[in-house]
Amino acid sequence: MSSVSTEPEILSPTETLVDVTSMPTPPPLSPEECAELARSAGLSELGVRPHRRHYLREIWEFRHLVWHLSSAQAYATNQNNHLGQLWAVINPLLLVGSYYLIFGLLLKTRGGTENYIAFLTVGIFVFGYSASAIIAGARAVTANIGLVRALRFPRAILPMSVTLTQLLVSLPAFGVLLVMIPLTGEPFSWHWLLFGPALVLQTVINLGIAFFLARIVNAARDTANLVPVVIRLARYVSGVFFSITHYAGHGLVSMLLLYQPLAVTMTIGREALMDQYPLTWSSWAAAGIWAVVLGAGGLVFFWRGEGRYGSD
Amino acid sequence: MEATETVRDRDRDRHRSPEATPGVICSELDIVYTVFGARKKATTTEGEQPWLERFLRQRRQVDTGNVRKVHAVKGVSFVARHGEAVGIIGRNGSGKSTLLRAIAGLIPPSGGRAWAAGRPALLGVNAVLLTGLTGSRNVMIGGLALGLSPREVRARYDDIVEFSGIGDFVDLPMSAYSSGMGARLRFAISTAATPDILMIDEALATGDAEFQARSRERIAEIREQAGTVFLVSHSNAAIRESCDRVLWMDQGRLIMDGPTEDVVSAYEASHRKGGR
Ligand SMILES: Nc1ncnc2c1ncn2[C@@H]1O[C@H](COP(=O)(O)OP(=O)(O)OP(=O)(O)O)[C@@H](O)[C@H]1O
Ligand SMILES: [Mg+2]
Repeated sequence: MSSVSTEPEILSPTETLVDVTSMPTPPPLSPEECAELARSAGLSELGVRPHRRHYLREIWEFRHLVWHLSSAQAYATNQNNHLGQLWAVINPLLLVGSYYLIFGLLLKTRGGTENYIAFLTVGIFVFGYSASAIIAGARAVTANIGLVRALRFPRAILPMSVTLTQLLVSLPAFGVLLVMIPLTGEPFSWHWLLFGPALVLQTVINLGIAFFLARIVNAARDTANLVPVVIRLARYVSGVFFSITHYAGHGLVSMLLLYQPLAVTMTIGREALMDQYPLTWSSWAAAGIWAVVLGAGGLVFFWRGEGRYGSD
Repeated sequence: MEATETVRDRDRDRHRSPEATPGVICSELDIVYTVFGARKKATTTEGEQPWLERFLRQRRQVDTGNVRKVHAVKGVSFVARHGEAVGIIGRNGSGKSTLLRAIAGLIPPSGGRAWAAGRPALLGVNAVLLTGLTGSRNVMIGGLALGLSPREVRARYDDIVEFSGIGDFVDLPMSAYSSGMGARLRFAISTAATPDILMIDEALATGDAEFQARSRERIAEIREQAGTVFLVSHSNAAIRESCDRVLWMDQGRLIMDGPTEDVVSAYEASHRKGGR
């Protein structure tokens, strides 16, 4: 009650009135009696946060919902035009072409890279997936408010399915990537197989960020407008178009730029696919740590808001 | 529909105790919506005003902010029992749909508390379902969200489509459905799992006579299985036919709660008095 009475009441639903003074209303139970009755009948209270372990079990029970929501929505993404799913491949190719023109030929940021096209392509596709997953993840709750107000399920399903949707939408692009890399002259190698685990780590990192942002954006709408700005900024400092070590050296700033989550995912992607970048423990360990910290931390943070999603 | 057997059905005898157990309890429930993008003045006349005035007014609006609160449900208390069919009536905007969403666990209470048994299924006029996706995808997603397993949904798929009577349209996006077709599919999905609590928000209004008859049968079946049914409708006839108890909402308050005939006649009398 207290949370309501402190708010100024501005609007009443309708302005018309009926004479209610003469009408009988059965005496309602007191709040204590209600609580007692609910306890004895074994009812569960609405709008309260479930216990952490219980929450995890619920998420597990709804895992199929995550998959079906994501696959349906990924499919619907490119559905409403004639070329349909082909756009999932055409778009990234056009992007690589235009970035190559700007950064490879006009601005010449290829310093320190042996195979600039491969460097650029991995960067664009890997970062592109993170960018779209984070931007969509930030609005996971607010953009699906209809679903939230229609169906009851653990709300953590929403950031999860939004992230998975973006992964599915990006898969054709990653297919293009795997075809393009050998064409640019990279030799085949066993460590290409590590691109799979790299993608898994990246997905967990994206999901963790989505968990954090989804709750923040739900509480304060305006922050959603900042996310694309921050992502755009990150695109220019994360080493999508240029080698961070070549341009920023080996100082503290360079370390910060190199080991932030969005840059680390690109580094491990390049280490998996490109001959010039041998596998290093430091980047894979950093990616693993980020995945655990952001994934688990994000889930806990999101769970703390459970029970309040959909209230505004 | 034999396929509606669920785990819950097995222990339904528990609910059949003489003094039926409560299915939903609300205690001084308050729901406040936060609305973004509210503007104080009508915008339609803006074009005719001198730019200076427009500019000044915009400045003022920035100061007042565009976030407002709507107190949609105020201090509502009631207890609904298993096997009961409860009608909710009241004028447009009186908070009926909001109350249903709250007891379905979809909108957290801003004040007061609410409890419910088992898993509620809410069936709203424009609720649920992703209109960009096909009917069959929606059957799967809706079924999963109601707590069925993929196998259970597949087992009931034919029944659901048959009950909805939309035929080959299941493979079209729901945006291509008529409102009645959408309502039928929603109803078929929501009742496929035999919910503990079924809430119907005007969802039957757009259906044809045949569908209304079938859905009434289905509602009776669910009550039989000791579920609680809530029905929001502006058709007093439908309320009289299906409900044995009615809640009358006005301006967010529960102003009357009692046997159907008493409350509905009082409600009808009130428009005669108010509207002349
Ligand atoms: N999503 C929403 N955001 C903000 N305010 C809302 C929202 N939904 C409803 N309201 C407000 O809450 C009040 C109650 O609305 P509600 O939809 O519960 O009425 P109702 O009794 O179902 O009306 P109707 O008979 O027209 O369906 C109204 O004043 C409405 O403006
Ligand atoms: Mg309504």
